[in-house]
Amino acid sequence: MDINLQVIIKLLAALGLIIALLIANSLVMVWLERKVAGFIQRRPGPYEVGPYGLLQTLVDAVKLLGKQMVVPANCDHVLFFLGPVLAMFPMFLVFLVIPFGPVLTGLEDDLGVLLIMAFVGFEGLAVLVGGWASNNKYGLIGAARAVSQAVAYEIPLILAVLAVAFQCGTLNLTLITEAQGNWPWQWHLVRQPLAFLIFLICMFGETNRAPFDLPEGESELTGGYHTEYSGMGFALYFMAEYTSMLLVSFLAAVFFLGGSGGPLWPGIWWTFIKAGLLMTLMIWVRWTYPRVRFDQLLNINWKWLLPLGLLNLWLTALVMKCF
Amino acid sequence: MLKAVVDNLKGLWSLLVGLWVTGRYGLGPFPYWLGLKSFGYPQLTTHYPRQTIRDEDLVTFRGPVELVPAEDNPALSRCVSCQICVKACPSASLTVVKGADKAPRQWLSDFSLCSLCGTCVEVCPAGALRFSRDLYWVVEKREDLVRDLLARLAGGGKGRVAA
Repeated sequence: MDINLQVIIKLLAALGLIIALLIANSLVMVWLERKVAGFIQRRPGPYEVGPYGLLQTLVDAVKLLGKQMVVPANCDHVLFFLGPVLAMFPMFLVFLVIPFGPVLTGLEDDLGVLLIMAFVGFEGLAVLVGGWASNNKYGLIGAARAVSQAVAYEIPLILAVLAVAFQCGTLNLTLITEAQGNWPWQWHLVRQPLAFLIFLICMFGETNRAPFDLPEGESELTGGYHTEYSGMGFALYFMAEYTSMLLVSFLAAVFFLGGSGGPLWPGIWWTFIKAGLLMTLMIWVRWTYPRVRFDQLLNINWKWLLPLGLLNLWLTALVMKCF
Repeated sequence: MLKAVVDNLKGLWSLLVGLWVTGRYGLGPFPYWLGLKSFGYPQLTTHYPRQTIRDEDLVTFRGPVELVPAEDNPALSRCVSCQICVKACPSASLTVVKGADKAPRQWLSDFSLCSLCGTCVEVCPAGALRFSRDLYWVVEKREDLVRDLLARLAGGGKGRVAA
């Protein structure tokens, strides 16, 4: 790729759109999360601020912006402020390679999958840095849990994605989308059901969402890695959680659900509808299942997801080689 | 090995059952709002400042203690000023001053001390105490938490009488 003015303008425009998307996503998803939680528990959820409580998150965001960021005594200042920044900023880069539509892709890259998998690892690092630097026993335990969880759940995630990449013979996300047809039975959901199931479970582990939200674990760790964070530091971690939810939902939509190719009128809206439904599923799951214990979390991963992922990868390789 | 696989498949099925249970409640209000009341599950909370809970739904509510009106005169108490409740109260929140002919002259309950344990209701030999249904009782000063229960009874025992 030669660097010229056109490429730079395209990248900057894509980055601006992505930042707008991520902020809007956090605002809407926090509202949706509270609304769904309320409905599942047979109460109305936020309904006072704006129509149906829609402006509630905006007001919350303004409150968080205005709050003082309390810095704990004897903490590591550099790492303490680096943590939330590190949690949020790699996300902007990762969204560049996601093919939202046939033409709406920030950066066409033959190694898109590799880039995403490399930068998704930053989230575990950000949680470790934040929890470690805050000089708090809960933060430290949460950080340690986050690391062992991130290390564990990235492996089956990558195995599931690799099976799809084997089948398509490419790491380019646009080509992976195009390899699937418009109809559901042409999607990788049907061709790679086991990989989809593994990916679906790993989505929750990778984004630290319930039932795998042990790094925060309110009941035993008060807030886990973000115990000591307030104001915008907390808000950035909060945004990073919803952003990583959006990321894995888009990845699942692109890898397994046909991306922008829908049953009718293929286009960019299908990517967003599929990702939105997956995010709603993640919220639904959070308010349905209790949190697993840490040994259960690692047992699910090392005893089931990893062997099944390897088996699936071997079978895929075998089938692709022989036929 | 086979048993573990079967157990895990059963576990996956139970996860789907759980999703059905919460999803049913999550989507429950929508048919209710559309008029299909037999399909839906209404929301169960009360939007407090605009709605209040009906009195018949308050039968199990245990509010601050109040005096039971006497059979012959609802403005008077059944209390015989025996002081058993005063001695039984673990946090000394009750004050009963005996007047003429066993009837109490003053009957104070300090709600800032009361923990609603109900011991006074249990020990009363005359059946003169019970839990009230004062759900929306609000005071602005700590002193207002001391309630004159005789005056409350004389005033009909209803409403948001603070003193």
